[in-house]
Amino acid sequence: MIPLALEEVSFTYPSGVTALREISLTVAPGESVALIGQNGSGKTTLARHLNGLLQPSSGRVMIGDWDTRQHTVAKLAARVGYVFQHPEHQIFKRSVQDEVAFGPRNLGFAPARVAQLVEQALQATQLSTVADQHPHDLLPALRKRVALASVLAMDTPVVVLDEPTTGQDAQGVRAIGEIVERVRAGGRTIITISHDIDFCADHCSRLIVLGGGRVLLDGPRETVFAHGDILEQTAVEPPQLVRLAQRLRLPLAWEPQPLLAALEQSQRQR
Amino acid sequence: MIALYQHRPSPVHQLHPLTKLAISFGVIVLALGLGVDWVPLVLYLLVLVPLSALARVAGPFVRTSLRILLPFAISLFVIQSLFFPEGNTILARLGPLSIKAEGVRFAFAGTVRILLMAGALLLTLLTTHPGLLLTGLVQKGFPPALAYVIVTTLQIVPQMRERASTIIDAQRARGLETQGSLLVRARALLPLIGPLVLGSLLDVEERSLALEAHVQRHNAQDQPLPSAGPHLGAGAQMVDCAGHARGDWLPAC
Ligand SMILES: Nc1ncnc2c1ncn2[C@@H]1O[C@H](COP(=O)(O)OP(=O)(O)OP(=O)(O)O)[C@@H](O)[C@H]1O
Ligand SMILES: [Mg+2]
Repeated sequence: MIPLALEEVSFTYPSGVTALREISLTVAPGESVALIGQNGSGKTTLARHLNGLLQPSSGRVMIGDWDTRQHTVAKLAARVGYVFQHPEHQIFKRSVQDEVAFGPRNLGFAPARVAQLVEQALQATQLSTVADQHPHDLLPALRKRVALASVLAMDTPVVVLDEPTTGQDAQGVRAIGEIVERVRAGGRTIITISHDIDFCADHCSRLIVLGGGRVLLDGPRETVFAHGDILEQTAVEPPQLVRLAQRLRLPLAWEPQPLLAALEQSQRQR
Repeated sequence: MIALYQHRPSPVHQLHPLTKLAISFGVIVLALGLGVDWVPLVLYLLVLVPLSALARVAGPFVRTSLRILLPFAISLFVIQSLFFPEGNTILARLGPLSIKAEGVRFAFAGTVRILLMAGALLLTLLTTHPGLLLTGLVQKGFPPALAYVIVTTLQIVPQMRERASTIIDAQRARGLETQGSLLVRARALLPLIGPLVLGSLLDVEERSLALEAHVQRHNAQDQPLPSAGPHLGAGAQMVDCAGHARGDWLPAC
């Protein structure tokens, strides 16, 4: 398990757009972090620095003791798994099983280890029953889970998820949430990029809010949700229950039980 | 994102799209009609390149047309110089094979024709917003569906390039080595081509759905197309719509 560190990272695209401005932050092993912020705030750009797909224009990115500039993307893949938003961009094998085995094989694991990791990843994503099917015969929501499994099977200490819940119905979102919880329980670091603030509130204990390429807020959920004014700057709306609690002037809560408890207590006090 | 089109303030951009198309085809007909080997090259260098400079797109123009030409040029020269059937003037021998002057000449003629045709169309595409081109074609009585298919198909190459780079990123992130020996790179090909071809097929399907939906809406309201004025007409909207639909497949990166 390894820590991540961005040290005064700035990044400008060749087109001249500066997408990150002097970002410094560290992520401890095992944290579950959400990157939130409006479209174009720099979330994807930041995440792509974590596995070397982009290199900082200035500053540096440390993945454990590795500077991303000194290692290829294929090497960094052993430390940081990155699930792309669109499974269509990676699926090419004829069976779900083979697709999931592609990553661990690239990392040079022994066949027995590959088989074990594939089985675990398929179980974690509840795809064991379709292991022999052609990935493109699956519904898009399931295909997304194939992409997820294919990265989980690489057994990286850090996993980045770019918009894991888009295109999923309520059940699919719940399934992805369960997968995230299982990966967290395994002690791996998870970084989730998402516009689904409820999903972030449920599964990420730390929120990093980006706006205009800078970190506007960074902290535990309760601290971040308390700054409605700053969240508004980058078009993030706190979860419904948080807004309800704020309106009722109750302590912040993003799950029904604590909110109900607080409500009952305030009734009793009255 | 409008792929090939380069927005610049230039007199060439101001021309009516059909005028530009007519010039393109005129140059092509002239070049091929004269039947002299070196005429296409001269027209490319003395007409198309200066026009592209006037349009302030000389850089992308030359770069893109050479990039289109390269695979054709290589295969033409390799195959024709070695295997041209009526060749008997031998320039050089490579073991059992020999390079024949007639073949080289044939390959040269073919290459410069392709260069000219690609260049002539490219000049129009680089300087004409696809929406305006579409609107222009439809106003001259072109069937809208056909015009749409033609214009969007012309945009496919840059889209494929963009898609390919996303796919390469996705596979490198799964530990695929794409740099190194020839063998390493050859092995990297399969994981790239699969998603590229499939993604493009899905794209075509999506495009046909978008087209169907538009035709249905169009039939329901029977709206006339607005003229190509200072703002872009319905054609531009259609192209942009297709772009957005595509955006669901590709991240904006
Ligand atoms: N390949 C690229 N070339 C040039 N500019 C880019 C590229 N990708 C992103 N940008 C620009 O960089 C900025 C940050 O983009 P980024 O994709 O990181 O934002 P994001 O927070 O992930 O947004 P979204 O929520 O829409 O995914 C934006 O202004 C965007 O237009
Ligand atoms: Mg993004």
